[in-house]
Amino acid sequence: MVFSSITFIYYFLPIVIFCYFIVPKKFKNFILLLCSLFFYFFGEKEYIVILLLSCLINFFSAIIIDKFPKCRKIFLILAISFNLILLGYFKYTNFLIDNINKVFNSNISLLNIVLPLGISFFTFQTLSYVIDVYNNKVKADYNFINFTCYVALFPQLVAGPIVRYSDISSELRDRKVTIDTFSSGVKRFIIGLTKKVIIANSIGEMINILNILDNPSVLSYVIVAIGFTYQIYFDFSGYSDMAIGLGRMFGFHFPENFNYPFISKNVTDFWRRWHISLSSFFKDYIYIPLGGNKKNNIITIRNILIVWLLTGLWHGATWNFVLWGLFFGIILIIEKYLLKKFLNKHVIFSYIYTFIIILISFVIFNTENISDTIKFLSRMFALSNIPFINDVTMYYFKSYFVLLLISIISATPLIKLIYNKCQKVNHFIFDVLETIVLFGLLIINTAYLIDSSFNPFLYFRF
Amino acid sequence: MKNKIITVIFIGYIFAIFILNIVIKDIDISYSERRYLTKLSKITITNIFNGTIFDNFEDYATDQFVFRDNFRKLKVYTIFKVFNEKDYNNLYIDDKYIYKIEYPLNINSINNFTNKINFLYEKYLDGMNVFYSIIPDKNYYVDNNYLKIDYNKLFHIVINSMDKNISYIDITDCLDISDFYYTDAHWRQERLADVVDKISANMNFNITNNYQISSYKPFYGSYYGQILINSSIDEIKYLTNNYIEKATVYDYSSDLVKVYETEMLGSVDSYDVFLGGATPLIEIYNNGASTNKELVIFRDSFASSLAPLLIDGYKKITLIDLRYLDSDLLNEYISFSNQDILFLYNTTIINNSNVLKINVN
Repeated sequence: MVFSSITFIYYFLPIVIFCYFIVPKKFKNFILLLCSLFFYFFGEKEYIVILLLSCLINFFSAIIIDKFPKCRKIFLILAISFNLILLGYFKYTNFLIDNINKVFNSNISLLNIVLPLGISFFTFQTLSYVIDVYNNKVKADYNFINFTCYVALFPQLVAGPIVRYSDISSELRDRKVTIDTFSSGVKRFIIGLTKKVIIANSIGEMINILNILDNPSVLSYVIVAIGFTYQIYFDFSGYSDMAIGLGRMFGFHFPENFNYPFISKNVTDFWRRWHISLSSFFKDYIYIPLGGNKKNNIITIRNILIVWLLTGLWHGATWNFVLWGLFFGIILIIEKYLLKKFLNKHVIFSYIYTFIIILISFVIFNTENISDTIKFLSRMFALSNIPFINDVTMYYFKSYFVLLLISIISATPLIKLIYNKCQKVNHFIFDVLETIVLFGLLIINTAYLIDSSFNPFLYFRF
Repeated sequence: MKNKIITVIFIGYIFAIFILNIVIKDIDISYSERRYLTKLSKITITNIFNGTIFDNFEDYATDQFVFRDNFRKLKVYTIFKVFNEKDYNNLYIDDKYIYKIEYPLNINSINNFTNKINFLYEKYLDGMNVFYSIIPDKNYYVDNNYLKIDYNKLFHIVINSMDKNISYIDITDCLDISDFYYTDAHWRQERLADVVDKISANMNFNITNNYQISSYKPFYGSYYGQILINSSIDEIKYLTNNYIEKATVYDYSSDLVKVYETEMLGSVDSYDVFLGGATPLIEIYNNGASTNKELVIFRDSFASSLAPLLIDGYKKITLIDLRYLDSDLLNEYISFSNQDILFLYNTTIINNSNVLKINVN
C-alpha cells in the first residue's frame, strides 16, 4: 500500500484513526503495530516474517548488550552482522553473482530474490538502534511491542525518513496528540501528497513521453534531465512530508529529510539538504567512526570515498549507483580541497555549478548503465548529432511549461516566504484561504488518484 | 481555531467518503469510460496469501469511488486550466471537436500496411476489380498547432507502394471536419453522400441517394468519456431506405439480423447501431437487388456506417475486419471469384498496421 492511493487515504487511514483514538492510551502502540503490520502485509505478503525476525533479533540483542556487559561486544557484532547479511542477501547477492560471472566467465544462475519493501530503511533503523544502545546513547527498550512499533511504524516503514530510536523513544512511551499537532500533520500530509501526486507523477508522465520520442533533440534531453531531478525531489520529499505528517497525526515527531536542496550553493551544502536522515546516518555511523576529518588528508579522502561508495550502493546494486556515489565523493573532495573558497566568492557561478552537478548526478542515477549515461550526457550537452530543438520537443515544452515552472518555484522557499508574509498581513482571511486551498488540493489529489495509471514511488526500489 | 477547523474538516471528509463508499451500491459499467468496473472479489485464504485480494481491492476502491466521474472531470479541468497542458492523454478540444493526436508518423507501419495489402492481392485477389481508399482521421481537416502526422507523406508512401493493379479512390476532398462527430473518431453517416458518390463512380455501380433519417440523442462518442469536459454532445443519425430495410445480415460471430441494431443506441457505444459494432465477418444480403454483383470490403469500423449506403448497388456485401480475423482463415469463409473488392482503412490503422492479422510470411 502506498500513501498516495485511494485505499490508504479513504479506507486504511480512517480505520486507523478511528481505532487509535478510541482505544485507551496503553493500547495505542499495539493498535499502531497491528495496523503497521497489516500495511506491510498488504504490499509484501511473504516478507512480513523477515520484518518480524529482524525486530526480534535486534530487540533481544539490545537487551543482552544492555544487561550483560561481558557479552555486549559480541552481541553488537552479531546484531550488525545479522542486519548486514540480511540486507546483503536480499539486495546484493545477484549483483555479486552477476559480477563473478562477468569476471570469471562463469555461469552461476541468478537467484530468484525479490527485495523486501523498505528493507534498506528498517535495517538502517535497527542498526542505528543496537549501535546506540552499545554506545549508551539510548537505553534498550524492554517492551517488544514498543520496539516493534518503532521499527514497523507504517508512516516511516517503507521509504523513511530513517528515524533513529533516540528521535522518538520518549514518544513511544508517552505522547500527546493535540489539535495543533494533528492539524499540522494533516497540512504536511496534504502538501506531501500534492508534491507526489500532482507534481512528481505529472513530471514522470512528461519524462515517459519524451524518453520515447522518435526524433529527440538536445532540448528534449535537457528537459528530461531537469524533469527527473525535480521528479525525484518531489517524489521523495513528498513521501517524507506525508510520513512526517502522518507521524504527527499520531503524536510522533520524525526528523526532517529535505531542506530546499536546489538552493544549495555547493554540493556539500546540497547533501546537508537532501535525504538528510541518510547522510546523517552515514556521517554518524561510518564517517566519524572511521576517523572523519580528524586525521590526515589521505585518511579523510579515504573516509569520504568509503562513505560515498556505500551511499551509492545503498541506493541500488548496480554499477551506475556506485558511479553515482563515487561521483559525489570526488566532487565533495574537490570542493573541500580546491573549490571551497572560489565558490564562496562567486555566488551566482556557485548556484549554476551546483545545479549542473546535480543534473549530471541524476542522469547517472536514472540511466541503466554507464554507456547509456555517456550517451545521454553527450546528447544533453549537444555533443552528438541531434538537432538542438524541433517541433515535437517545442510542443511538449510548451505543454508542460507551467508544470515545470510550478515545480521550479515550489522547490524554493519562495512559497514559504509568501506564506509567512501573508500571515502577518491579515491573519483571518489568510487562515480561511489556507483552509480552502488545503482541502481543494486534497480533492484535486483525489481526482488525480482516481484517474491515474502512473503512480510509482521512485524510492521504493531502494 | 483554524487548526480545529482543519482537523474537523479532514476527519469529517475522509470518514464521510469512507462511509459513502461502503454504503453506495457498486456500479457495473462506466458508460463514460466504456468498460466494466472492478467488483470486490470474494475473500479467501488463498487470495489473501497470494495477494490478489489486495490488488483487487486497490482497483475496486478506485473504480467504485463515489462521484468518480466528477473527480475525473476535475482532473481534466486542472490539467487544461491550471497547468495549461495542450492535451490530456493525447486528446484535445478545438472548436467543440475532440481530437486524438496521432503521432509520430510510423513509416515502418505504413510500409507494412502496403505489404500486407499487396500480399492479400497476390494471394486471393489477382485479376479481380480491386480498389482502395484511405479515410483521413479528424486531424487531417484541422489546422492548428497540435502534433499531427505528415499526411502528405503517408498518402505518398501508400500510393507509391501499393500494387498498381489496385486502384486508388481519393475521398479526402469529399469530407471536412463537419462530417465527423464532435466526440468520436468516426464520420457521420448522414454526411457521406459525396463519399458514396465518389466510390460508386469509381467502382461503377449505381446508388439511389434517397433516404429517411432516424436519429438518437445524446450520443457520447468514445472520446467524450475520456475527456469529460466537452460541452458538445452528438446526435447519431442513421439512414434507411427500402433496400436497407429489406436487407438481411448474417454475422458469423453473433445472431445479428438487422443493418441497424437500434438496441445499441444508448449502450456503451451507440455507434454500434451500425451493423452491431466490431465483428470479424459480416454478410449483408440485398433482398431487393436488381444486380448480381457482390462486394467485399476489407475494413475497419468506419465502414460499418458506410456499408449500408452501398447496399442497393450490390446483391451481397461482405465485410471483413482483419483486426479480428486472421487472413490465413479467409478461404474457410469466403470464395473469391468475381466480386468487387474495396480496401477501406483510416489513417490511424495505416499508421498502426500491426493490428491487422495478415501474415505475409
